[in-house]
Amino acid sequence: MIQVTNLRKRFGDNEVLKGINFEVAPQTILGIIGASGSGKTTLLRCLNGLETISDGSVKCSDVQLESGLSTAEYKRRVRALRLKVGTVFQHFYLFPHLSVVGNIIEAPVHVLKTAKKSAETEAFELLESVGMKHAARRYPESLSGGEQQRVAIARALAMHPALLLLDEPTSALDPRRIASLRGLLRGFAEKGHTMIIISHSIGFLGGVSDSLLYMEGGLVVEHGPTDQVLNSPKDPRVKEFIAQAE
Amino acid sequence: MHKSTRAFSALCCLLALLTFPTFYASAQQTLRWGADPSGGAPYVYTDPSNPDQYIGYEKEMVEALAAAMGRQAEFVPSDWETLVSALQRKSFDVIVNGLEPTGDRAQQIAFSNPYYVFQLQLTVRRDDDRIHSIDDCKKRVVGTLGNTAASRLLQQQNIPFRSYQDPVGAYRDLELKRIDAVVMDVPAEAFYARDNQKLKQAGPPFSRGTYVIGLRKGDDAMKVEVDKAIERIIVDGTLEKILRKWKLWNDAQVEFQTSVKTKTPPAVAFEMTNSSFNWGGAFWRLTQAALVTVLIALGSMIIAVVLGLPLAVGQWNGPRWLRILCTIYVEFFRGTPVLVQLLFLYFGLPVIGIAMPGWLTALVGLGLNYAAYESQVYRAALDAIPKGQWEASYSLGMSPLLAFRRIILPQAFRIALPPMTNDFVSLFKDTSVAFAISVWELATAYRELANASGQFLLLGLTVSLFYLAMSLPMAQVARLLEQRLSSRGIERSDEAEVAA
Repeated sequence: MIQVTNLRKRFGDNEVLKGINFEVAPQTILGIIGASGSGKTTLLRCLNGLETISDGSVKCSDVQLESGLSTAEYKRRVRALRLKVGTVFQHFYLFPHLSVVGNIIEAPVHVLKTAKKSAETEAFELLESVGMKHAARRYPESLSGGEQQRVAIARALAMHPALLLLDEPTSALDPRRIASLRGLLRGFAEKGHTMIIISHSIGFLGGVSDSLLYMEGGLVVEHGPTDQVLNSPKDPRVKEFIAQAE
Repeated sequence: MHKSTRAFSALCCLLALLTFPTFYASAQQTLRWGADPSGGAPYVYTDPSNPDQYIGYEKEMVEALAAAMGRQAEFVPSDWETLVSALQRKSFDVIVNGLEPTGDRAQQIAFSNPYYVFQLQLTVRRDDDRIHSIDDCKKRVVGTLGNTAASRLLQQQNIPFRSYQDPVGAYRDLELKRIDAVVMDVPAEAFYARDNQKLKQAGPPFSRGTYVIGLRKGDDAMKVEVDKAIERIIVDGTLEKILRKWKLWNDAQVEFQTSVKTKTPPAVAFEMTNSSFNWGGAFWRLTQAALVTVLIALGSMIIAVVLGLPLAVGQWNGPRWLRILCTIYVEFFRGTPVLVQLLFLYFGLPVIGIAMPGWLTALVGLGLNYAAYESQVYRAALDAIPKGQWEASYSLGMSPLLAFRRIILPQAFRIALPPMTNDFVSLFKDTSVAFAISVWELATAYRELANASGQFLLLGLTVSLFYLAMSLPMAQVARLLEQRLSSRGIERSDEAEVAA
């Protein structure tokens, strides 16, 4: 579904990503863990085109983004990539001037040119699936953090992305809500969605992701099935990280 | 030694000569006379070859009068529109400024006997073949001096007119085709227009009236003195000499002075222009002025709101050259007074062939000026939108333009609305600077109507009410809009909860 090859990202002299390689199989969830400053968030921003990649390539379905393209071509492909990749930001960034339904239908109506009526019908279905149908006509500022997150997930899914990125989805949630988010995301994976979840909560990722990727210093240190990475990590740094988390 | 003594005694003589009249003057009484010297030729005006001195036939006449009265003339430069109230405030003793005795003035001040018979002259552009007399002007705009016999005549005949503060402005606008004709007293016309190759006289002089000296009511001793002096300079030929010198001697003067000399009533009755103040009419004129004010305010608001946005975006996120251009624009319009900008647009642009009518100049000028202010309000508002809003929009596949239009701008608008409202209330009041370019808006209307009637207090209150009646609802609408926008989420969510 997504293939990242030798991805590098430099900010001036500071190389944040030093050659990342991984792949995510369709209908699976990849969890990315790592300490702050390991490059997780930069990686995510490269995957949805918010950062320009310095080297290597990102391929999602039939869109391949790579370094060395002309500016115009790069921009064109970023636009194409963003239609394939949906993002749920850590702080959600709902549009405060639009109602919940307005937030969800905004991009389908104005980017995909879906008819407003059918976009709304679908928005209600999505809201139902995230348990937020009752709040359809409310405005973001009147929602709790967990509710806003669900709306943000529905907003991203309304664009039918091939891949959904979630940045630190548990940071704003209490334990009870974390459990219900896990159930929700698992349900979406079973319905066929592919996801990458960035988190430093190993407990959360353990219960939700199919595979885990541990990053440190801008490199992939370990990548494998979740059980294997959690229970018998090969690299001592991963072992230490897991031990500290517990 | 001998030489220097002679020089010294010459100096003493000179000093004595110089100081003597002053001494004498303070011993004798002065005759302080008020007139408007700006654009005041040939009555009284600044001597172009000697700018710290005033010249003019009325100045010479007042000096002759003062001499006849045994007084010393002292000129008090003043403003035409406020002469009457300045006289009442005792800023000077008499008005000598080609003043016509009108009914409304008679209620406020007293008049001397006449000293000059004036006629009116219609002037048009040289290539004009439509206008031959004042009757051809029913559907044209005629320029004249505000608050004069000519303006009253036009008003009585329902001819649309524009008031000017000096003849220069009126004739220049005639040249620029901003108006179709100018009616002016013959002396002013002779001085300012007769030699202008681009203009011509339309028909012969018409409508006789007299100039008198304005006096404070109750100052009867002064009236007796002034009347006696006028008679004396007419009888002894001094006035004739002055008028001949200024080329103002004509048949009308011959008739008039003969009647004075022979103490027979004039063979020709001199029309006395009269317009008593009528509140209904004033109210109607104020309403018209209010409409012009609204037109200018709304028009310039639209320009400011629309033009402010590209300026803001250019300055905020444009390429370097555009940022510099936008900054220059903003700093230029914020850093210079709006009055100067208007005067530049009105008087300066015609030099390069762009002559807009006054109301349009005011509308465009205020619009350009306020666009600079609005751009800064927008820029601050745009800066206040979190970067995450852009990123969320991009990650949903929106183009920068779509994100700006659908996501950023509506949020920025909410932030910008309160300062914008503020600016618009003040723009509304700033329309009053348009009076500097003779636009008939509320401030001009107040000045002219109040000067014509002396009703400064009542008219002032009325005009203030007009301004309030317009600005209060505007502020209210803005407040409602703000409330609607800022509390929409909360209100709606309450409804939703009640519904659920």
